[in-house]
Amino acid sequence: MAIMVAVPAGITANQQATQSITASYNTTISNMQAEINQTTTLIEVQSSSGRNFEFSMPSGTPSGTPSSGGMPSFGSRTVSYINETVVNDISSIAGIKDLVKYLEASSEETTNETMNGPGGRTFTISRAVYTITGVSLNSSLLGNYSILPTNITEGRSLLENDSWVVILTSNLSDYLGKGVGDKVEVYGEYFEVVGIYEPSGSDSTGTRALYMNVTNAQTITGNTGNVSRLDLYADNASIVSDIADVIKVAYSDLTVTTYADRLSNLETMQERYATSLSSAQSTLSQTQTTATQEIIIAVVATSLIVLFMMLYTVRERTKEIGTFKAIGFSNLNVMSQFLLEGVLLSLMAGVVGIAIGYVAAPTLTSLLLPSGNLFGSSSSGEFRPTGSSVFRFGGTTVTTVTLTPELMSLAFSAAVLLGALGSLYPAWRAAKIKPAEAMRYE
Amino acid sequence: MSELVQKLDEPAPKTSEPVLKTENLIKIYSMGKRKISALNGVNLKVNKGEFIAIMGPSGSGKTTLLNVLGCLDTPTSGTMTLNGIDVASLPEKELYSIRRNELGFIFQTFNLFPYLNARENVELPMECTKKSKSERRERAKQLLAMVGLSGREEHRPHRLSAGEQQRVAIARALANNPAIVLADEPTGNLDVENKYEIVRLLGRLNIDQGTTIIMVTHDSQVAAHSERILFLHDGKITREKQGLHLVKKKQICPYCGGKIQLKDVRCPTCKKRL
Repeated sequence: MAIMVAVPAGITANQQATQSITASYNTTISNMQAEINQTTTLIEVQSSSGRNFEFSMPSGTPSGTPSSGGMPSFGSRTVSYINETVVNDISSIAGIKDLVKYLEASSEETTNETMNGPGGRTFTISRAVYTITGVSLNSSLLGNYSILPTNITEGRSLLENDSWVVILTSNLSDYLGKGVGDKVEVYGEYFEVVGIYEPSGSDSTGTRALYMNVTNAQTITGNTGNVSRLDLYADNASIVSDIADVIKVAYSDLTVTTYADRLSNLETMQERYATSLSSAQSTLSQTQTTATQEIIIAVVATSLIVLFMMLYTVRERTKEIGTFKAIGFSNLNVMSQFLLEGVLLSLMAGVVGIAIGYVAAPTLTSLLLPSGNLFGSSSSGEFRPTGSSVFRFGGTTVTTVTLTPELMSLAFSAAVLLGALGSLYPAWRAAKIKPAEAMRYE
Repeated sequence: MSELVQKLDEPAPKTSEPVLKTENLIKIYSMGKRKISALNGVNLKVNKGEFIAIMGPSGSGKTTLLNVLGCLDTPTSGTMTLNGIDVASLPEKELYSIRRNELGFIFQTFNLFPYLNARENVELPMECTKKSKSERRERAKQLLAMVGLSGREEHRPHRLSAGEQQRVAIARALANNPAIVLADEPTGNLDVENKYEIVRLLGRLNIDQGTTIIMVTHDSQVAAHSERILFLHDGKITREKQGLHLVKKKQICPYCGGKIQLKDVRCPTCKKRL
């Protein structure tokens, strides 16, 4: 009985998890597609050393985490910057219309977090409390390109030449307990919070980040003139690859990403997603097959148990049946008596089973069904198609198994039905017993 | 006891209507290829209000006869009329209503339902009748009082003595006011004391209520308390005797001819044990 309740619930939970993951992935991919298409003239320039770890970091590790405290096996990222001279040289390349400077850094404060590793092990890593992004606040840039987060929920976004002000993600706002108008301390300097935003994309969950003017970021981190990333906008899409080539030749230690690169990256990602989805689906269908088998076994076992128990009861009570008949019970009376008994028995079993199922559904599900890890760790990793959105794959484990009233009543009626079914033959046998023979039976 | 019975030269009082009548009743059991005939043509006539004992050695067909008379088994051939109904020709599935309405059973092993109390056991045969719940309860109480178990209604069988259990069984047999009560070795599982108490109870019911009783027993002393004893041998009634009960019915001492009363254990005139 408990199996009949818990297993379908587990399946539903698995299905829902897959559906919600699929939906969120689809949204993210289409968002990124749109984002890439809008920025055909964008060339991203980053220091090479900063990109090595991507696709190898496990999910859950925040992007932009510096080397501090990470697990050694993940490799560590040395934040290296593009210095002022290089920035100035690149900006003088012909055909570049605009240049957006980014300086990304991590907060000084760190926090210890426990993470689930492969094989059920847990480990604690130290991660920065939040990430800092400094951006060029220049009216022409702000007007033409999507540099800053757009989803402002409170206050305002950053404006041209804003200085010593920041906007926070809602998570960071909650974490620090600071709202619009409050002051937050970053690298020893105080900044006024002017706005709260909600990060976009699949990156949103738990992200703690803030944006400020790039010059402020440079000042507080002691990186005057340096940037961690440059977004170049070419005059037109046709000269993008020429510019990229020029930079690649001149600065071999820089990674240059163009529209074409981003598209191909997205394709790679989609492929990996498709693989991971199909593996998840095969896991799910495997789970469903197992579940179906288990339910069939449970149903058959239940009916057989009722059948044998009632057959035993009828045998045991043959003399009693004889007495019933002797005092004037008809075959139908006797039969309905035993049917009722079987149904009542399984009714009680149903109540007990549902109670057990209600309490033990998650345990039973994890015990009876294949691992609920739908998106395996093989697909873990992250990918940044553009500067502003981060996309992650992660192992998703089903944790919530809920029993709906429909499911419970279904299982309950199944129990009653099986009780009736299982005791039908024994009851018929009881009714057919000849009274004279029954009286002789000892 | 047997010479005592033979002293009674007067025939049993004839009641005009026979409540049970069988003619050439035959029952043959097939055990594989072997055929065993348990009843070899039983001719029996039981009048209304009679108290009959059937005696015979084991294997003589006593139980088979009682089963056939009680519609628990169907005869292979022969006719049987019960309260005017030709039951031998009725199909098995219609016999239950005969058993319910015309017959009451008393068993050697009492066959009470251990999970029901005395009253519920007595109510059980009325379960399938039209009687209302309160009517059933009332009748069960009356019947239990009649067999001397007032105040023990709510006791389960295991809290009653063997004799008391048999009284409950007797009350249950009377529940639907049957034409005949059939008792199969009703004293077989009882000690001497209880044995006579039960047989006296049957006798009293026979006199007071006019209940027709057919009792199978192999105990000649118990049988002697009936009014007519039939001897069954190899599936046939071979002999017939008058029993002590007849004396009680007539209320005359068989030894000295003096007047006796029902409750008397000894004759008040000659002091002989009755």
